[in-house]
Amino acid sequence: MSAPRRNRSPLATILSWLYALLLAAPLYYLVVSALKTNIEIFTRPFALPARWLWDNFGTAWRTADLGRALVNSVFISVVAIVLTLCLAVPAAYALARQDNRLARVITGTFSAGFLIPPFAALIPTVVLAIESGLFGTREFQMLFLPASALPLSVLLLTQFMRTVPQALVESAALEGAGHWRLLISVYVPIARPGVVSVTILQLLTFWNEYLFSLTITGTAPDVRTVQVALPMLVSDATNLGVLAAGTVLAVLPVYVAYSLMNRRMQEALTAGAVKG
Amino acid sequence: MSSTSTRVQAPRVLWLTVPSLVWFAVFSVGPLAAMFVIATLRWKGLLYEPTYIGLENVGKVFADPTFHAAVRNSVIQVAIAIPVMIPLAFMLGYHLYTKPRGYRVLSVLYFSPGLISISMTGMIFYGVMSPNGGVNGLLSTLGLDSWATAWLADPSTALPTLIAIDLWRGIGWTAVLFAARLSSLPAEVIEAAQMDGAGRLRTMWQIAFPMIKDYVRTLAMLQFLWTLFTSAALILLLTKGGPGTSSTTLSYLVYAKAFSQRDLGYSQVVGVVLLLAGVAGMLLIRALLRGSEEDSR
Repeated sequence: MSAPRRNRSPLATILSWLYALLLAAPLYYLVVSALKTNIEIFTRPFALPARWLWDNFGTAWRTADLGRALVNSVFISVVAIVLTLCLAVPAAYALARQDNRLARVITGTFSAGFLIPPFAALIPTVVLAIESGLFGTREFQMLFLPASALPLSVLLLTQFMRTVPQALVESAALEGAGHWRLLISVYVPIARPGVVSVTILQLLTFWNEYLFSLTITGTAPDVRTVQVALPMLVSDATNLGVLAAGTVLAVLPVYVAYSLMNRRMQEALTAGAVKG
Repeated sequence: MSSTSTRVQAPRVLWLTVPSLVWFAVFSVGPLAAMFVIATLRWKGLLYEPTYIGLENVGKVFADPTFHAAVRNSVIQVAIAIPVMIPLAFMLGYHLYTKPRGYRVLSVLYFSPGLISISMTGMIFYGVMSPNGGVNGLLSTLGLDSWATAWLADPSTALPTLIAIDLWRGIGWTAVLFAARLSSLPAEVIEAAQMDGAGRLRTMWQIAFPMIKDYVRTLAMLQFLWTLFTSAALILLLTKGGPGTSSTTLSYLVYAKAFSQRDLGYSQVVGVVLLLAGVAGMLLIRALLRGSEEDSR
């Protein structure tokens, strides 16, 4: 597929780079602030630090107990993604194999669910957590996050599984393969790009989740996630340098993952919105 | 299509969707339905026993000036953010799609706010917007000290600042999505238009735009819903709805009434209003951006 002609409009070029600059400026400011004192942040906001204050990172790490928070975030995200796949993969397999009115109703349910932001039901979800005795635990998030991820995951995986050639399914069925054999040895391998996309997309969503973690899992140091721990550095006399250093530490894992597999990640995230 | 042979042999497999449906019902549909119940209760905080009071909460909410302020702020927020975001994102997306010089750098930059969580975005802008933060520092370097203000603590700038942050994160991300969509279409049509000497603007708006109009509508609806519903998090981190009620949106009011002012019934009446506003806004966007498909259907 050939790309359209290169663009030569100077106005579009200028505006697109101007916006890029607007995007980059706060990120640059964040990184240089992480190495400065409060005073230097204000007096020389966009200059490189006069003296590189690496201590900010150590202070942020200790004050917000980021080590434990990172472990909690990883733990919750990993369990939640495994559960999401265990629920969504069989459902997508079923929806890809059967196309009748009931299947369309189920697909429609998930499509509607995809549109409604989880925030809509935040308070009743908190009530549910209290009633189930899981308020203030990481376990509730592990159970809840997959539910919020299901609509998009099921819809995306179904699309990928629809690409499995019918002939392949029939020959496997003739050899006596049951549903689980078919699913594991035919459907999942062929839909692998879809599984990878869903995994990346939802891992990022789980990792970044904030309001439910804050209100349900809470701010206790032994259970809180990175997203909840970091804003704890804000106080009446916030040390902006330490806050910036903490933010850099918390954003870093996502950027490292992105730099290692940016093509894959960009595909996954755009697939989520393009196909949804 | 081999649909006939498929249908004949189609085994009963839909039971495999049961676990995911149960999960979805318990954690998503159930809480959504419970909103309507909680809206009819007098419930002073989560540790207390609720009592049924019917529609009393509704009257209370609609008579409350804070609610009026929240409605106004939410309307301002989406009425500015979405009409600015979607056309700009489409134009930037089209620009990216034409692969201008350095488009890889551009697309990485445009993409990056999508990687940063709302909590981290909040912390970044807490620093940038604080009285002795980046924006004021920049202004004073430029000799514009008189423009400096406590952006998040000034009633006239708190809400505009929050809207600016919505745009900061939303435009580039949406542009990348538009670019991805455009490049998934056959390129011949757009190339042919360019060969015919159609101008840039004409190619963009009269050829490319109609081709992805349905998708523009979908993203406009999604951005509308995200902006309307999820503004609570950023407001909680940056302004707590203040000063006064100057940056209280409906979404934040749902949160604040439940957790800091301990009136769950009130909170959920607002939640229901928010849900209805979401549906109404979606229908409006759908009507405004009626797709070509629908006309011929």
